[in-house]
Amino acid sequence: MHRLPAHILRDLFCKGEISAEQIAETTLKRIQAHDHQIGAFLNLLSERTRHQALKLDEKRKKGGRLGKLAGVPIAIKDNMHIEGEITTCASKFLENYRAPYSATVTQLLEEEDALLIGKTNLDEFAMGSSTENSAYHKTKNPWDLSCTPGGSSGGSAAAVAARFCPLALGSDTGGSIRQPAAFCGIVGYKPTYGRVSRYGLVAFASSLDQIGPFSNYVADTALVMEVIGRHCKNDSTSLNIPQEPYSKNLSHSLEGALIGVPWRFLEELPEKSKQNFADSMETFKRLGATIIDIDLDILKYSVQIYYVLATAEASTNLARFDGIRYGKRSSRATTLDEVYDFSRQEGFGPEVKKRILLGTYVLSSGYKDAYYQKAQKVRTLMIKKFQEAFQQCQMIAIPTSPISTFPIGSIQDPLQMYLQDIFTIGANIAGLPAISIPSGFIEDKRPFGLQLIAPQLHDTKIFQFAHAFEMKTKYNQAIPPSFDDEVHS
Amino acid sequence: MTDTPYRDWEPVIGLEIHVQLNTKSKLFSAAPNRFGDEPNTNISIVCTGQPGSLPVLNKEAVRKAIQLGCAVQAEIPLFSKFDRKSYFYPDSPRNFQITQFDQPIIVGGSVPVEIDGHIKYFQLHHAHLEDDAGMLKHFSSFAGVDYNRAGLPLIEIVSEPCIHSPKEASAYAMAIKAIMQYLDASDCNMEEGSLRFDCNVSVRKKTEKGLRPKVEIKNLNSFYNMEIAIENEIRRQIRAYESHPNEHPKNVVKSGTFRFDPDRKENILMRQKEEADDYRYFPEPDLPPIVLTTSEIEEIRASLPELPFERLTRYRTQYQLPDNTAQLLVDDKRLADYFEEASSVYSQPKTIANWITVEFAGRFKESGKSLLDSGILAFHIGKLVELIETGKITGKIAKSVADDMVAHPGKDPEHIIKENPDYQPIDDTSSIEPLVDQVLAANPQSIADYKEGKKRAFDFLVGQVMKLCKGKASPAIVNELLNKKLQ
Repeated sequence: MHRLPAHILRDLFCKGEISAEQIAETTLKRIQAHDHQIGAFLNLLSERTRHQALKLDEKRKKGGRLGKLAGVPIAIKDNMHIEGEITTCASKFLENYRAPYSATVTQLLEEEDALLIGKTNLDEFAMGSSTENSAYHKTKNPWDLSCTPGGSSGGSAAAVAARFCPLALGSDTGGSIRQPAAFCGIVGYKPTYGRVSRYGLVAFASSLDQIGPFSNYVADTALVMEVIGRHCKNDSTSLNIPQEPYSKNLSHSLEGALIGVPWRFLEELPEKSKQNFADSMETFKRLGATIIDIDLDILKYSVQIYYVLATAEASTNLARFDGIRYGKRSSRATTLDEVYDFSRQEGFGPEVKKRILLGTYVLSSGYKDAYYQKAQKVRTLMIKKFQEAFQQCQMIAIPTSPISTFPIGSIQDPLQMYLQDIFTIGANIAGLPAISIPSGFIEDKRPFGLQLIAPQLHDTKIFQFAHAFEMKTKYNQAIPPSFDDEVHS
Repeated sequence: MTDTPYRDWEPVIGLEIHVQLNTKSKLFSAAPNRFGDEPNTNISIVCTGQPGSLPVLNKEAVRKAIQLGCAVQAEIPLFSKFDRKSYFYPDSPRNFQITQFDQPIIVGGSVPVEIDGHIKYFQLHHAHLEDDAGMLKHFSSFAGVDYNRAGLPLIEIVSEPCIHSPKEASAYAMAIKAIMQYLDASDCNMEEGSLRFDCNVSVRKKTEKGLRPKVEIKNLNSFYNMEIAIENEIRRQIRAYESHPNEHPKNVVKSGTFRFDPDRKENILMRQKEEADDYRYFPEPDLPPIVLTTSEIEEIRASLPELPFERLTRYRTQYQLPDNTAQLLVDDKRLADYFEEASSVYSQPKTIANWITVEFAGRFKESGKSLLDSGILAFHIGKLVELIETGKITGKIAKSVADDMVAHPGKDPEHIIKENPDYQPIDDTSSIEPLVDQVLAANPQSIADYKEGKKRAFDFLVGQVMKLCKGKASPAIVNELLNKKLQ
C-alpha cells in the first residue's frame, strides 16, 4: 500500500477495495514501526485519524459524497494549525499551544476527506535548512540516516520519502519545501505567492511564505493543489481567482517548449551536481524542448537580500511570542520586562534569536536605508530580471540545491548553511511558482533535485513540464530500501 | 487676536486627535466594536495576536475615512498603505501596531472655525487609519489586560502647528468632534474614550519663524481640561525661557510627555524623551495597499450629509439665530437635530433656540444633566412655543409650565396646562371685561397718552390688567378688549 500514489489509493477506497480503517491502521503501524529511525513526526494524531477513518467508512457505506482526497493519509508540518491539536513550530515556546482554530489548508483537506495523521518536525519556526534547529529532535534522511532530510520542512519530506504517507504539507519561505524534496528524492512544490492561503500558518516572513505539498508523483501534487489552491477571505494576500483543475491538464507535449537556463550562474557548481543537471537538460531535449541561455546573475544577491527581508519580517512576526497571552511564560520572571526577556530567552532556540536580532537591526533607525530599503530595491530588480527572462522562455530550470544532502552536524558555519538556499530563494522573492522533482542520484544514496520555475500563475505549466520529466525518467519511483516493506498486521 | 496675554511670546500648538470609528466590527477582524462589555468578550484570534492569524481590512472604516477627507477638503491619494509600528507592551497583542506611516489615506485638509467673530481655517497635516490597543487594568497584586478595545478602528487626525491659544485648541477640537458626529463616523464620547486628544505645545517669540522644542500632553478628557493644561504649559515654558534668557532653547525646555491630572489640574511629567523612539516602521506585508478610484471618492463626496459649518451658516442666514446660539446648537449634532425637530412643530426658530439653549439649559445646569438626555421631547418644546405665540398662555405661565416639564419629563405641555387651573388662561371675555374697565378707570393719564400716539401706554395698560388677574388672562382677549374700549 505504501507504494501507491494518493490518487490511486483514493480510488481504491472509493471503490470499496480498501477501507479507511485499514488505511489508517496500516499507516499508523508503519509509522510506529519505523519512525523511531527517522523522527519525521513530532505528534502522531492516532486517535483523530482512527476517528476520522471510522466516520469516512460510515459515509461511504451511506453513499455520501466522497472528497477528492478521501482516505488519503496526509502529514502536516507542525507550523500549521489543526483546531484542538498542539502546534509547536518545533519550539519550546509553543510546547503546549493548542490551536483555537484550523488553518484554511487543513480545513480544506478535511473537507475533502483526507486523514490528517500527524504533525511533522521542522527547523524551529521554519528557520533553517536541515531540520537540525528543531527544539525537540533531529530528523534523519530516509536515504541515508546519517544525513539531514533538508529543511525547514524536513519532517514532512522524510515522511513522504519513507512512504509513511503519500502526501504531506510543508511551507516554503526561501526553499523550505523544495530543498528537502530534493534531499529526499521526492516532489516538492511551492505555488505562486497568494495561490494558497496562509491563514493558520504560523508566519515566518509574510511576503515570502507559501504552503505547498510533498508527494512522490506530480499527479498527486496537482490533486492536492486543486484542493488547497483557493481564494481565502481570511488572508488578504490570497489571490481572488477561481480554483484551477490542475490534475486534468497534466499530459502536454513539450515539443517546441523553451526552457531557460542561467548557465553562467551555474559555473561554480560541484562537478557531480553539474553533470546531473546537464543530464536533466538532455532529457528535456529528448522530450522536444529547446534549452536556451538566460541571464539570472542577479541571483547571486539572493542570500543577502533574503536574510535582510525575511529576518526583518520575522522579527515582527515573532514579536507576539512574549509570554503574556499564550505559550511559554518564564517562571523566573517577576517584572514585566522579565516576562518578555526570560520567556523569549528560554523559549527560543539560538537560530531564531539570531534572526530576530538581525531583523531588528536591519530595520532600526540609521540602518534601515542601508539594509532594508536597499534589499527591497534589489528585490524589485530581481522581479524584473525574472520577467525579462520569461520573455525568452516559458520555464526556467536550475538545480534545487548546489549539493545533495550532507551529514547531520557537518555544517556549523551559518553562512555556509544559508548558501544552501541560493537557487531557491529567487522564486520566493519574486512570488513565482517553483517545483523540485527527483533527478536521480549523484552519490550512492544521495538524491538530487531539479527545479523548474515558471511565471506567476503558470502553475499548470509547471505540472505539465514536471509530469513529462517524471514519466520519462521515473526517478520518483525509487524508494529508500530500508523503508520499502509492508508491515503485516 | 488683539492684545494677547503672552506679551511678545506666541504659543504654537498642534493637536493629535484619535477618533474611534463606529463601525460594526474592528479594523482588521470581525470581532464586534462595542463599548462596556465584559473584558475579553469582543475578541478574535486577530486581536489577541494568535499565531497564524492575519488582518483583513474593514471596508466601512475606509469609507468613513474618505468621508472625513471629503468633509475637510483634503487630498485623498488613490494609493495609500499600512505599516507596522513595533513596540512591546502588554496592551499590544502583536507587539506591533498596524498604522499608516508615510502614505496615509488623507493628506492636508482644512477645518473652518468661527472664533471671536471671524473665521479661521485650521490646517490638517494628515489623517490616517490605525488600530487601537487593549486596556491595562491594575489590581492589587497583578495587572490584567482587556483586549476588547484592541483592534478597534482609529482615525488619527494630525493638525499643523497652526493653533495659537488654548481657546483656539478647544474650538478646533470641537469642530473636529462635530464633523465626525455629523458624518456619523464616531460616537465622539470622551468619557468612553472614543475621542482622545494629545497636544504638542511650544512657544516662541512672535518674530521667530522656526519652532522651539515642544512638549506633549496626554490624558485630556474634556475640552475645558485641555485648555487648562495647555495654558499651564504655555506659562511654564515662558517662565523657563524668561529665567534663562541666554541659554539655547533645547536646554531650557526639554522634550517630554506630560499627563494632565484632572483633580489637581496640573501637568505631571511622565517621561523625558532624550531621543525619539525607534518604531522600525516598514510596510505591512499582510495587507495590500488601499487603491481607490476617483469615481469611488466622488460618490462618497456627493453623499456627504450637511456639515457643521454649513449648518452654522444656514442657522445664521436662514433662521437669523444670533452667533453664539447658532454655534452652541451646531457644536452638538444631537442638539441641533433636537432644535430642528422642535422647529418643525412651530416655526419660530429664535424663540425655540432660546428656550433650548437658555431656559431649559438653565433649568438643568445644577443637576448637570443635559436636556437631550432628560426625556423631554423636542416636539413638546415646539408645542410650548406654539402655545405662547398663539396667545394661549402668557410668557410667565410658560415658565412655570417649563418647570413642570422638567419635573415630569415626557409630559405634554397641553396636558400640564389642562391639569392645572392656575395655568389655564381666563379666556371668557365676560370675566376679563370688568378688569379692563377697572384698569381704564384707574389710569386716565395712560389713556390720554395712548390717544396722543404713545404706544407704550397701551402695553402699560395690558400689564396692569395682567397684574390684576395674576397673568392668567388670555393676552389675545385683553388686547382685543382694550383696543375696543380705547376707540
